[in-house]
Amino acid sequence: MIPRSFEYSAPGTLDEAVALLQKLGSDAKILSGGQSLIPMMKLRLASPPHIVDINRIPGLDYITEKDGFLRIGALVRESDLERSELVRSRFPILVDTTSVIADPLVRNQATVCGNLAHGDPANDHPATMLALGAIVVAVGPRGERDVPVENFFPALFTTALEADEILREIKIPIPPPSTGGAYLKLERKVGDYATAGVAVQITLNNSGACTAAAGIGLTNVGFTPIKAVKAEAFVKGKQLDQAAVKQASEIAAGESHPVDDIRGPADYKRDLVRVLTARAIVRALERVKGGV
Amino acid sequence: MSNGSQGNGKPLKVIGKPFRKVDARAKCTGQTLFADDIVLPRMLFAKLLRSHVPHAFIKRIDVSRALSLAGVVAVITGKDLPIPYGILPVSQDEHTLCIDKVRFIGDPVAAIAAVDEDTAFEALSLIDVEYEQLDTIGSIEEALSKNEPRIHDYGDEGNIHKKVHLEFGSVEEGFAEADLIREDVFFYEGNTHLPMEQHAALARFDADNKLTLWSSTQTPHYVHRALARVLEISPSHVRVIATPNGGGFGGKSDPFNHEIAVCKLSRITGRPVKITLTREEVFYCHRGRHPVLMKVKTGVKKDGAITAMDFQSFLDGGAYGSYGVASTFYTGALQTVTYQIPRYRFRGLRAFTNKAPCGPKRGHGTPQPRFALEIQIDKIADELGLDPAEMRRKHLVPPNSLTANYLRVGSMGLDACIEKVVDASGWKEKFKRLPYGRGIGLACGSYLSGAGLPIYWNNMPHSGVQLRLDRQGGVCVMCGSTDIGQGSDSILAYIVAEVLGIDPFDIRVITADTDLTPVDLGSYSSRVTLMTGNAALQAAERARELLTLAVAEKLNAPIENITFAERRAFDVEHPEIGVGFAQAVELAEAKFGTIGTVGSYTPPPSAAQFKGGGVGPSPAYSYSAAIAEVAVDPDTGITKVEQIWIAHDVGQAINPVLVMGQVEGSVYMGLGEALMEDMAYRGKRNLVHKFPSLLEYKSPTTLEMCDVKTFLIQERDSAGPFGAKEVGQGPLLPIPPVIANAIYDAVGVRVDEVPITPEKVLAGIRAGAHGKEARYGPSSAPEITWPEALHVATPAEGGDGRAVPRDVVHK
Repeated sequence: MIPRSFEYSAPGTLDEAVALLQKLGSDAKILSGGQSLIPMMKLRLASPPHIVDINRIPGLDYITEKDGFLRIGALVRESDLERSELVRSRFPILVDTTSVIADPLVRNQATVCGNLAHGDPANDHPATMLALGAIVVAVGPRGERDVPVENFFPALFTTALEADEILREIKIPIPPPSTGGAYLKLERKVGDYATAGVAVQITLNNSGACTAAAGIGLTNVGFTPIKAVKAEAFVKGKQLDQAAVKQASEIAAGESHPVDDIRGPADYKRDLVRVLTARAIVRALERVKGGV
Repeated sequence: MSNGSQGNGKPLKVIGKPFRKVDARAKCTGQTLFADDIVLPRMLFAKLLRSHVPHAFIKRIDVSRALSLAGVVAVITGKDLPIPYGILPVSQDEHTLCIDKVRFIGDPVAAIAAVDEDTAFEALSLIDVEYEQLDTIGSIEEALSKNEPRIHDYGDEGNIHKKVHLEFGSVEEGFAEADLIREDVFFYEGNTHLPMEQHAALARFDADNKLTLWSSTQTPHYVHRALARVLEISPSHVRVIATPNGGGFGGKSDPFNHEIAVCKLSRITGRPVKITLTREEVFYCHRGRHPVLMKVKTGVKKDGAITAMDFQSFLDGGAYGSYGVASTFYTGALQTVTYQIPRYRFRGLRAFTNKAPCGPKRGHGTPQPRFALEIQIDKIADELGLDPAEMRRKHLVPPNSLTANYLRVGSMGLDACIEKVVDASGWKEKFKRLPYGRGIGLACGSYLSGAGLPIYWNNMPHSGVQLRLDRQGGVCVMCGSTDIGQGSDSILAYIVAEVLGIDPFDIRVITADTDLTPVDLGSYSSRVTLMTGNAALQAAERARELLTLAVAEKLNAPIENITFAERRAFDVEHPEIGVGFAQAVELAEAKFGTIGTVGSYTPPPSAAQFKGGGVGPSPAYSYSAAIAEVAVDPDTGITKVEQIWIAHDVGQAINPVLVMGQVEGSVYMGLGEALMEDMAYRGKRNLVHKFPSLLEYKSPTTLEMCDVKTFLIQERDSAGPFGAKEVGQGPLLPIPPVIANAIYDAVGVRVDEVPITPEKVLAGIRAGAHGKEARYGPSSAPEITWPEALHVATPAEGGDGRAVPRDVVHK
């Protein structure tokens, strides 16, 4: 099948793009990597009258460290993230995440920012960004604003972006020493949405206890990406021994709200959150100690 | 066809060698024209409007708004094509477009021809259909409990399409002799073929009102029959050309509504009309694996020898008959050809439901019972404390024997297959000895090399080949067979090249064109290599005979000395004395006139003379044995298949690389069925397909595919050309049960249904941990009234293959 016909614009600057969005309102849809938009248009699940293609805007494909943040520009592809030395050395959790998204062909096109902007609770980066305490930088006619990622997903397929705003950048705080993170996803086959996914980022203090920076995010077990705040609160200040890990994973499972679907029954998914949380914490702890 | 004539004992030059396919370059460079690639001047594009309700009367259809859309040229509805059709003579229950009733979501009600695909698509939404919805039948259980509303007004009763009951020997006597009787219930979920190429068809009525249809079909002969009938034109005015199929797997074996619709639209508009189905529509065409619930009762002696088997199967047929009656019999036919079953009873039932119609998929009706049988054998071995490999090997059906249900087994290489995989996998060191979470399992299978009987019973050949030799040395082989990617065009070239001593790439192969090629029944039931191969062999031998006479005369050499090799014909005692192949043809043409020969093949008469005995007989049976090693994560239930060893008895590999490709492809497809594929429907009443797309219908990728070690066992069968048997379907059969058996070895859980998804394994592990039976699967089968058995005395009882008359049974 082929998409319905649509108008197409390829602005050369962010300002032009924002102006277009302002003019077109809800008729416009931004095209970056097209990972979700193109298939939806092909299946006519979406028929946006106007496509605003931001791929020709220069200077949005950066991965840099600046002012205490890792900054990921709007046109950074998943494959860029996979290959970035900076990311590989400092954020193995991001490599975990990007490498389980779709397949290599899709990852050559798909963007990290688009993975958030689509607002799909089945996408993988949201949970990881929740665990990392990331900040979303939106640009619109009223200028730029920062949105903490925990406020970015108010409802199913909905984000905090206004119709005339573009997600320009993701900012992730550079972690202190003794930090480790991991993202684990269970999928029926490679390229599938998660049956469940869990992201964990922890920092240990001098006495080996978990600091207040702990983050736990859950993929595809609710109508939005879930920040497992109770489990986060539980681990803070604790020595993460076997019993603590077990308890934390049970709390995280309790915070998930899966439904029965083709990926499995709700009970099974809730149980997976438990198993994956425990395994992700263990993996994160290994990485604190320099493991891979 | 005698085996001795094949090659006159000289070493084979082509057969058994890994030549490339004759169509390989065209496929690799994109030159192959699939149906959707064909473009004709003034061509229109068609679309079908499909029902969005599962079961309803059509109260009214108004096409006027669609017709008035600019670019729409014609719109047709059910009343334009009132004659029903269907692949089997007993199930003529389909209409091109539904006339008064729709039976599943996806059933077509109108067809549009427009100047482009977009316009046709837009016009669909302008057709107004008023439905009066009916209660739906969504499952076997519902079909059994609800006679009304009836989906069809034919069939055995209510919503039961077919019920059969066959008994070979006294099963009760057999159970009385048993030391152990096991009764198990299994479920095999439906799944679909997933060919890469979506169905497409292009029709053109020419100025003389003669019709040509190009279609991605596996069975041009049957499409030809259906078109003539439904369109009410002389069969001699219909030409069907099967384009190379981008995969078929059984999904392109029925005559389809879209094929007939484009012909009608072409007739009305006087323009060529093309249709290419979307992936979603391919899910609605379906004709895939029937969901089957099975109850199996088997009695064995202490050494595992089977004394009797009682097999019940319940098939969820979907909305139409399709091949369903044959599918039903197939769920009961091939149990007997692997391990000796002296007495056997089969009861089968097929229900109509308001879902996409099921039909034949690779293995047609036999993977489901094979799944049940191979797991039950594993359970029996476990209970008796026997090694499942040794137990199987002890009770194999001997070669050249007749089974209790009158299937004639010729060559039988299963023992060699099992031995091979047992040795290669390290079975003896691994079975029951791997750490918890790792396991190894064994399963076997067997399949037909072509159905022994045609769909329309007659005495004519099943396959014909015509050979034309020209004075430039060109050889053209013409045959009705259809290459669906399996390499059947290449098989024709290899066999003719072998006999005539030329290179396979010297040969032009013309196939699957009902105007140009003699009838071959189609690419189904793994029949093509054996049947067209034998026909090609006969045609080539007849041509060689003509050339031999002419060359012998020219060389003044004895006829029996003339040999063909290296593109020459020569005196075998004086190889330097000879002529080139082209000159041999010239000599023959001068002597006999234009050189053309024919060959044909008809299977030997079946030993099964009872009603229902038409399904199961075959000229030869292939055999496979597989061992799988798996790793099961006991916390998540995820099974990773690490390695499969599979041995397949193919008789003689015409081309070993193509054979291995078929084995590995079968393993791949079997893994999908075992672990993830699921033709599932949403809701109890609305019966919407859950995921008619490749996004959500999960099938393995290269990354899920395990390592496969393939072994070819070549025990030549006298029925096959050069001894060849089938390979296209058989190797799939052991895969689903081998995974289940390996999982049991790994974590002690029996998953008695496919797909074996992680949550089912985990549920089994949990049940075991709570002291319950560590099993996931159906607990019971419906208790129903079966028709009275058709009794057939077994060969061992002195039977003659005919049913015992009722009064004798009741004496």
